[in-house]
Amino acid sequence: MTDAPWRPGQPEQLHAVDAPTVALPVWLHDGAETIAPVPARPRRTAVVVLAVLLGVVLAASGTLTWYLLRVNAAWQEHSQQWEALAEQHGADLAQARSDLEQTRTELAGVQEQLTTAQGRITQLADEKAQLGDQTAAQQQLADYQARVSKAAGQVATALANCIDGQQQLIGYLADPSRYAPDQLTAYKQQVQDYCRQARDANTTLQSELAK
Amino acid sequence: MTLRRWWVPPAVVALLAGCAVLPPMPPPVPTGVVPTVDSVPTISAGSDQLSPDGFDAVRRMAVRIRNVGCGQVSTGSGFALTATTLVTNKHVVQDSAQLQVSTYDGHDVDVTTASTAGLADLALVRTKENLPSAPELAATDPRQGDPVTVVGYPLGGQLTVTNGHVIGTTTDPLNSNLGQVLVTDARVEPGSSGSAALGADGKVIGVVYAKNAAGYSFLVPVSTLRAMLGDETGFEPAPTCAG
Repeated sequence: MTDAPWRPGQPEQLHAVDAPTVALPVWLHDGAETIAPVPARPRRTAVVVLAVLLGVVLAASGTLTWYLLRVNAAWQEHSQQWEALAEQHGADLAQARSDLEQTRTELAGVQEQLTTAQGRITQLADEKAQLGDQTAAQQQLADYQARVSKAAGQVATALANCIDGQQQLIGYLADPSRYAPDQLTAYKQQVQDYCRQARDANTTLQSELAK
Repeated sequence: MTLRRWWVPPAVVALLAGCAVLPPMPPPVPTGVVPTVDSVPTISAGSDQLSPDGFDAVRRMAVRIRNVGCGQVSTGSGFALTATTLVTNKHVVQDSAQLQVSTYDGHDVDVTTASTAGLADLALVRTKENLPSAPELAATDPRQGDPVTVVGYPLGGQLTVTNGHVIGTTTDPLNSNLGQVLVTDARVEPGSSGSAALGADGKVIGVVYAKNAAGYSFLVPVSTLRAMLGDETGFEPAPTCAG
């Protein structure tokens, strides 16, 4: 079976073949090209396939475009939300820094006041202690003066008794015949006791004065 | 037909790969990005770190002792050992008719008993009320060069804190202590006797009891203090001026 050469504009003729035959093109002597028979492809099918493919591509492109636009909008909103959040935290940070600075200033003032108060407490405690020392010392002095006064009084009393007794004894001894000897002896002993008490009191007074 | 549709699998793969590289939707924006921080530890008033009036433990443990004797008044220093026991020198409390104790803030504390050590210039005074704060005793004596802080009432004046270093050890020049005593260059004065000497960690390393003309201060080391505290028979009632 021989095939007529296909020309443009002519309908394609389908041929049943047992197997695809491939032959190399051969230059003829008259310059005309002879194309070896190849498996024919239906043009309409190709157009349909291309149309379907184009439709699919267009649909995919549209879907992709819609998706990308949606993603873009979402990321823009996302960015705006982050920006708002950053601004909020920035404002919070600025407020926190301001509060911190104010707190530091107040703390410095409070620390200064505390230092002053502590110094004042220490000073008052010292003043109180010094007053206590002075009070104790004055009490010691008062006790000393009281002891000295008491001793001096005892000395004066004892000396007065001694002197009075000695004067009375001198009077008695001027006329001893008028008195019983044992009474004179007892009175003399009594006067000596007064004078001894005066000496003891004077010793105590000198001891206190020596302190 | 199989050969003519060889492009289908690569096309599907390419399509899937293309979908894979498409930008995803953004994740939701969090409502806050401030990280959580650990809670700040608080210092309660009345603890050892801080008193209601802001005085530190070093000053709060110090006490001023007035020895009202028979015809004389003298002052010394001391420090709290426990809530109702304070440590000072024997020569601060002996020969007294009355002992009067006051704290850093001028508060008066009533004294119940006083006892003195036989082999060291140390004394223990018991109080009726609680003392503000008590330090810890160091486990060992300090070494040469260690820093020392003395807190007390030099010349019976204001509460004073002085610093120095341990110079070394020597035998007691006053022969009032057995064993070695510490020598420091921390300045002390009459009235500082009984002051606590603290190490760098705030623990008691000794008790001030004397000074010399060169300005060096002498301490009863904490080892002696520990030894005396461990011997219940080492203390006896303090002698009074009334006999």
